[in-house]
Amino acid sequence: MNYVGMFTLMKREMVRSLKIINQVIWPPMITTALYVFVFGVALGSRVKAPHGLSYSVFLIPGLIMLQVIDSSYGECSSSVFQARFMNWIQEMLVAPMSAYEIVFGYISGSIVRALLIACLIMGLGFALVHTLPRDWLLYFGVIIDVGLLFSALGVIFGLMAEKFDHLAVLTTFAITPLVFVGSAFTPAQFLPPSILRFEYFNPMFYAIDAFRYSYTSASYLPLWLSLSVITGLAALCLGIALSMAVVGYKLRA
Amino acid sequence: MSLRVRAGDFFGFLGPNGAGKTTTINAVVGLARLNAGSIRVFGYDSVTQWREARRFIGLAPQEYNFDRYLSIRDILIYQAGYFGIRARDVRERADMLLERFGLASKAKLDYLKLSGGQKRRLTLARALINTPKLLILDEPTAGVDVELRLELWELLQQLNREGMTIFLTTHYLEEAEMLCRDVGIIRAGKLVAQEPMRELLERKGKGLQEVFLELTRSGPAELV
Repeated sequence: MNYVGMFTLMKREMVRSLKIINQVIWPPMITTALYVFVFGVALGSRVKAPHGLSYSVFLIPGLIMLQVIDSSYGECSSSVFQARFMNWIQEMLVAPMSAYEIVFGYISGSIVRALLIACLIMGLGFALVHTLPRDWLLYFGVIIDVGLLFSALGVIFGLMAEKFDHLAVLTTFAITPLVFVGSAFTPAQFLPPSILRFEYFNPMFYAIDAFRYSYTSASYLPLWLSLSVITGLAALCLGIALSMAVVGYKLRA
Repeated sequence: MSLRVRAGDFFGFLGPNGAGKTTTINAVVGLARLNAGSIRVFGYDSVTQWREARRFIGLAPQEYNFDRYLSIRDILIYQAGYFGIRARDVRERADMLLERFGLASKAKLDYLKLSGGQKRRLTLARALINTPKLLILDEPTAGVDVELRLELWELLQQLNREGMTIFLTTHYLEEAEMLCRDVGIIRAGKLVAQEPMRELLERKGKGLQEVFLELTRSGPAELV
C-alpha cells in the first residue's frame, strides 16, 4: 500500500483548494451569511420551525449540508476532470499508485475540504445565531458519510465528463434542486403529503435530516434509516468510482 | 514485437509518426493496457508486479503535463510523493536537480512562467526525482534550440555513464546516431530492426537516415 502517495494526493488537493480560495472557500461562507440574513433574520420570525426551534437555528444545519454536498462533488469532479483534461493525472498513473490509492487520495482531500467549510460555517452559525452541534460524533460522522457519497459521485462524473460543461449537469439539474426541496429550508412537517411522498426518493432529504439531528437532537425520519440510506448510497457510488478507476476508464488507453 | 534493452544501454527507438513508439512506451509505464504479451522491467512483470516495475522507471513524456497548482519545486516533491518517497527525504534531491537543470532560481514560480527549453528541462528533472534505473524519453529535444539540445545530449550521456539505462525516441536521426549504442526501428507496430547502431550502419553501408528510410518505407517489411 502506497500511503505516502495517497497522502501526497490528499495534500495536493488541499493545496489546490487554497490556491483557488476565492472560488471554493469564501463563496460558501458569504452565501451562507446571506441565507441566514435573508431567511433567518429578516423572514425567520414569521416562519415556524418544528420542536420549538427558531427558524434560524433550524436553518444552519441545512445550510452546512448544502455546502458540504456542493463542495464534495465540486472538488472531486473538477479536480479529476482537470487532471485528465490537462493530462497531469499521468503523474500518478506512471507512479506505483493503485487505482484505489488514487481514488481515496482524491476523496480524502475532498472530505477534508468539506470538513473545513462545515467548520467555518458552524463558526459563522455560532456567531450569527448562537447555535452549536450537540452531538459532535454525529456532526462529523454525517459530514464524512455525505462527503464520501458526493466525492465518489464527483470522481464518477470527473471520469465520464468530456468537457467542463458536463460537470455542471448534475449540480444544475439534480444536486441544487434536490437540496432545496430536501428540507434544507423547509421543515418536512410542513410539506404537503403529496410532495413529502417524493422526499423519500431524495437522498438529500436523508442527509439533511440526519445532520440536523446533530444540532437539534430531533429529526423527522428515524436516524438509523437516514444513516443507512446515506451509507448505502456512499458504498454504491464508491464501488462504481473504484471499478471505473480499476479498469482505467478514460485513464488508460 | 519482441524487444530487449540491456541494463545500462542507451537505446534509440525510432520510427515514423504513428508507428507505435509512444504506444510502446505507454505499455511499459502502464498508461496503456496490454491485450497480449508481457513486459518485464529489470525482471519485474509490468502487469503482475507493476508496483516494483514502476519504481525503476522515470518518464519524460513528449507533451508538458505539469500540475498547474504546484510550484516548480513542488512539482518534483509531489511527484516523488506519488512514488512513495516522503517530502522530507526528497527535498535535497529536488534542490540538487533544480540546480543541475538551471532551474534553482525559478523554484517557487509557476511552471507557466518557464520558457519552452526550461519546461523541457523540468520534464527531465521530474523524471529523475525518483532516482530511476530506466529513463524513458519521448522526443526530449523536440522544439528546443540547438544550444539546449547539445546541453541535453551532454546530460543524457553523463546519466548513461553513471549507469542509467536510457530509452530514447526521437525524430532527429543525427541525435540517435550520436547518442545511442543500440537501436530499434519500428514500422506500423512491427520491429523491423534491432541491433547495435554501429553494426547496423556498417552492415548496410549507409547513414542512419538512409537505413531508416529503407526500413520504414511502404512495402513489405523484413521483420526482426
